[in-house]
Amino acid sequence: MKEIIHFTLNGQQVSAEIESHKMLIQMLRDIFQLTGTKYGCGMGECGACTVLIDGLSVNSCMYPAFEVRGKSVTTIEGLLGEGNQFHPIQESFVRHGGVQCGFCTPGMIMSAKAMLDENPSPTDAEIRRGISGNLCRCTGYVQIIDSIRESVADYKDRV
Amino acid sequence: MKKFDYYQPETLRDAFALMEKFNGRARYVAGGTDLIVRIKKKDVQPDALISLRNIEELKGIRHTRGGVSLGSMTRIRDMERDTTIARDYPALKQAAAVLANPQIRNVATVGGNFCNAAPCADCAPPLLIMETTLALEGPGGKRDIPAEEFFKGPGETCLQPFEILKAINVPNPKSKTPNPKSITMTFLKTGRVAQDLAIASAAALVVTEGKICRKCRLAAGSVAPVPMRLKRAEKLVEGQEITPELLEHVAKAVEDEISPITDIRSTEAYRRIVTGVMIRRAIEA
Ligand SMILES: Cc1cc2nc3c(=O)[nH]c(=O)nc-3n(C[C@H](O)[C@H](O)[C@H](O)COP(=O)(O)OP(=O)(O)OC[C@H]3O[C@@H](n4cnc5c(N)ncnc54)[C@H](O)[C@@H]3O)c2cc1C
Ligand code: FES
Ligand code: FES
Repeated sequence: MKEIIHFTLNGQQVSAEIESHKMLIQMLRDIFQLTGTKYGCGMGECGACTVLIDGLSVNSCMYPAFEVRGKSVTTIEGLLGEGNQFHPIQESFVRHGGVQCGFCTPGMIMSAKAMLDENPSPTDAEIRRGISGNLCRCTGYVQIIDSIRESVADYKDRV
Repeated sequence: MKKFDYYQPETLRDAFALMEKFNGRARYVAGGTDLIVRIKKKDVQPDALISLRNIEELKGIRHTRGGVSLGSMTRIRDMERDTTIARDYPALKQAAAVLANPQIRNVATVGGNFCNAAPCADCAPPLLIMETTLALEGPGGKRDIPAEEFFKGPGETCLQPFEILKAINVPNPKSKTPNPKSITMTFLKTGRVAQDLAIASAAALVVTEGKICRKCRLAAGSVAPVPMRLKRAEKLVEGQEITPELLEHVAKAVEDEISPITDIRSTEAYRRIVTGVMIRRAIEA
């Protein structure tokens, strides 16, 4: 079964023909070539595939593509501002060593964004809870938590 | 992964009709956080998924004077953030807040948590202590059943083929007690790290009058083939003054009443002990 679905992707109206058993991540990576979203476990455990759907963080590896009809999807590529400027969270990850191999980074940043949009001044405990669905094999999390914490001041001014 | 068709009906009637068309080779899907993992692991291989996401009737949290009706498609995140649930059904809020992680809570539903019928389903113990009833509807009609009768075994429920869980109806425990301050409700969970499934979980509802416990409802998860009420332990508490000695005794009784197994998450022995301890703490809370 194949259908054409219409939805909003990083602020633009788009459509794609997709098979009914495909997950959102396959549509993003294979059809739209948005390869910033990573495929890790495929089972909801690692969060590397995290994107926002209508502002909420979701594992795109287990979200049926058909379900985004009429919805708004934001991927890591959608965070770039004018002239490909980094989003304050991205900048903070660069500045505070929140990135090592980088595989978890897009998912981490999308989780951080979803959390900060809802709670712009999180405590460290709330930051940990906010990224509890994202695994990182490199950093040991300390730098990631620093990056998110330090992005807060900037974030409040700019978003 | 095997290919499957995907349908998004807007009414129950259309959902039943699709189910009948596929005659057992289709599955309902809510948030998909259990089912899609099982399809990927090839545990189940349906020809079609029938999504319940667009059926208005199944959505929303409705508060009335007497209680709350949770549409089966209520997301875990919505229960976690509902201020009335936090105030009047705190054990349910506590369970929602520790179920998996934000990404899962944003899509997983309370109905899916029940229908998946895992022994570790976090929403089950808090709902079992509150005289919850479930509204079911199938092509043959509607029925209401007590939540306790829903679970039949790991992954097995009393749902008839094609039947849908419509709503979870919970009477407000506070509306039935003269002094709302005399009632406590608590959910506790032991896992390895934050997003893990429960090694064991426990919920308690306690109504006291002076020093005496007038009503006690206890339930536990991950310690038997289904989430279970602990009726023998409840009887030990009701009518008694809650003392440290009584709680010791209750913890031991809980160890005997449950029938946990050893699996990748924990051992039978640890589960017995930790459940006794959690029940004791939940009563004290
Ligand atoms: C990484 C990860 C961590 C998890 N951690 C936890 C945890 O800590 N605690 C916990 O309890 N669970 C956990 N789960 C399991 C799962 O997320 C929950 O059980 C969730 O509530 C399932 O809801 P769903 O809407 O996604 O169900 P689905 O996967 O859509 O459905 C589950 C089953 O129920 C049936 N079904 C769903 N809705 C209905 C209905 N209304 N009527 C009839 N049948 C229906 C479906 O056909 C399917 O068989 C976890 C899962 C993952 C992937
Ligand atoms: S790839 Fe989606 S959670 Fe791991
Ligand atoms: S930076 Fe390598 S997995 Fe996180």
